[in-house]
Amino acid sequence: MNALLLACWLLPLAGAIVIWAFGPQLRRGAGPLGSAVVFASLACAGSLFSQASNETGVGETLVTWIPGYTFGLRLDALSLLWTLIITGVGGLIHVYSIGYMWSDRAFARFFAYLNFFVFSMLTLVLSDNVVGLLVGWGLVGLASYFLIGFWFYKPTAVAAARKAFVINVVGDIGIMFAIFALFASTGSIAYADIFAKAGTLPVGVLIAVCLGLFVGAAAKSAQVPLHTWLPDAMEGPTPVSALIHAATMVTAGVYLIARFAPLYNLSPTAQSIVAIVGGITMLTGAVLGIAQWDIKRILAYSTMSQIGYMIMGVGVGAYQAGVLHFFTHAFFKAQLFLGAGIIIHALNDEQDVRKMGGLYRRMPFAFWAMLLGTLAIIGFPFFSGSYSKDAVIYGTLERGHGILYVAGILTAGITAFYMFRMIFVVFFGPERDDVPDVALAIPEAAHVAHAEDHDAAHAPEWLMRLPVAILMVPTVAAGWLSIGGNTSPWYRYFGTLFGTSENVNAPPLPIPELASQFIVYAVVTVGVVIAYLRYGTPAALRGSVERLRAEALAMPVALERAFWFDDAIAFAIVRPAQALGAFIGRVLDPHVIDAAVRDIAWLAGALGLVARALQNGLVRTYAFTIAIGAACFIAYFAFVGIAGR
Amino acid sequence: MSVELTNYVTLSAVMFFIGVAGVIVRRNPLIVLMAIELMFNAANLALVAFSRAWVNNAGHIFVFLVVTVAAAEAAIGLAIVVAVFRRAKNVDLDEVAGMHG
Repeated sequence: MNALLLACWLLPLAGAIVIWAFGPQLRRGAGPLGSAVVFASLACAGSLFSQASNETGVGETLVTWIPGYTFGLRLDALSLLWTLIITGVGGLIHVYSIGYMWSDRAFARFFAYLNFFVFSMLTLVLSDNVVGLLVGWGLVGLASYFLIGFWFYKPTAVAAARKAFVINVVGDIGIMFAIFALFASTGSIAYADIFAKAGTLPVGVLIAVCLGLFVGAAAKSAQVPLHTWLPDAMEGPTPVSALIHAATMVTAGVYLIARFAPLYNLSPTAQSIVAIVGGITMLTGAVLGIAQWDIKRILAYSTMSQIGYMIMGVGVGAYQAGVLHFFTHAFFKAQLFLGAGIIIHALNDEQDVRKMGGLYRRMPFAFWAMLLGTLAIIGFPFFSGSYSKDAVIYGTLERGHGILYVAGILTAGITAFYMFRMIFVVFFGPERDDVPDVALAIPEAAHVAHAEDHDAAHAPEWLMRLPVAILMVPTVAAGWLSIGGNTSPWYRYFGTLFGTSENVNAPPLPIPELASQFIVYAVVTVGVVIAYLRYGTPAALRGSVERLRAEALAMPVALERAFWFDDAIAFAIVRPAQALGAFIGRVLDPHVIDAAVRDIAWLAGALGLVARALQNGLVRTYAFTIAIGAACFIAYFAFVGIAGR
Repeated sequence: MSVELTNYVTLSAVMFFIGVAGVIVRRNPLIVLMAIELMFNAANLALVAFSRAWVNNAGHIFVFLVVTVAAAEAAIGLAIVVAVFRRAKNVDLDEVAGMHG
């Protein structure tokens, strides 16, 4: 028994159960307890680092399902990386949440959910077989549902939670069919057996499995056209957005494709589809990021765009690059969301950037946190994001995907534009005190309770600042692990885990890596400069209130409607489903099903009306009937005789 | 002069039909119970008569069983009559028709 591995996996579950059961007794103690179990889990995973950071890692068989089919855990280089991020960044976000959720009435419930999420995510990455993976996959979807809808008195939050859950179920079905196909063709559910037999799979099965898995990855990782739930998911509390909808859960699709690299490597067609969808998502997310006014939705679209980079990276076969972008993104996006959370918290849950402005003076700490995160996400030289993003972009070039390469560079420029747009609008210019207070769409009672509690006790400020301050270090430095290309610690860490990809589209363009990086930097600089000219110059800042109002009115319809993805889904799926439901409700149900039940009941009633005439309740009548029956019986034997005589 | 089997069976049949008629036509539950007893004893008489005719003691034994069951039946029947009388304050069987459909 590997107790450390088991402890790493089960501690967050224990935390969730204890907090759930004893929430009222624990009160604010739920926060430290929830954080402690996640950090303990991190310590367990960290102490296994030297054993696990290779291709085989450490494993543990838990249950034998049917002889020959076992459920177990496996911590290898890939799952170790995810485990460290989930528990490390997750632990910091737990600590941050103590401050952020301090005045919430359901403080303990929040931490029970967060711990449950960490457990689910660990189940997903630690499973050594596809069924366990699917279980974890479903559980993180459930945890996401709980946490998006955490403020269940807000109808928008409930709707967003439902939407996220339903779209994720679409992905679950894709994975399920991939598992069916894998089991039918290899006869096993364990990764080790499946990958050993990968070479013998027919091409058709291989493509079907890879695409089925990718449907799951696309739903979980908000890839076009299954991305629409992610911006809506920002209805959840900000720590949730940071943990689930930026750092960990939405990158599960990247994990899935990297985990199944031995299969994807054999199917260049599937790889190309993954890479192209990733590229489209990357560009779409960035363009839509321009048009957002809600600070969390800006970050949500940037998350979608950055996951597009990751998916594109693992799609073209540049696994180390794609996973590196996951690694750096987990830090700087958590940093950005937590920084935004500090602002939102200080402004009493205001999220509209047009009502912010000039916050640099009031909140210098939040400004520096956001600025560092922004520099990392746009790929500013020597910040973590630049190493990973350049690696992904250059990875597409190396494998001859010229169009994706250009799209990657273009997206980097757009990212620089919309991120600095946010920085300028939020932190510079005049403070917009004239804008009336927000009317939160929550019932009066809840609001009042919230406000009273708020006055009663304030969390110490360092609780929210400390995690952000710690995150600043990897936000800047996480990418340095990959300095040195193929001989860097990052590439040596994975060894030959991902195998070799055959997806080489065309001979690579003769651009050396350094030149490519400078092209990216040049485009990023252009993006920043345009953002400065439009939002950052003293003239632009002076009249910013009117300008932003005018800009909002002049927003192109395509951007306002987010390229009509929601409308298209509504038209193609939701309305037909509603029409079918209406047909069933108005025609099929009353006139066929209910009618059948009604008619059978009427028949029974009619027969009963005839039969009840016989039941007059008079004992003498009954006795007479019995006598007649007995007489008939005797008469039969008297005159006809016993059968056969 | 010996009594023939036919005489016993005839008496038994007569007793039985008196009992049937009593159950059907009388409205007093006590009389109805007595009529039922009459039918039991008609059956008993037939059993004993056949038993003697065939020189087989099974009929005698069976009579003991019937008498036992009849006693139990009478006890339950009288209990029901008392219970009905308590509820309805009369014992006319035609008035006690609460079980009609």
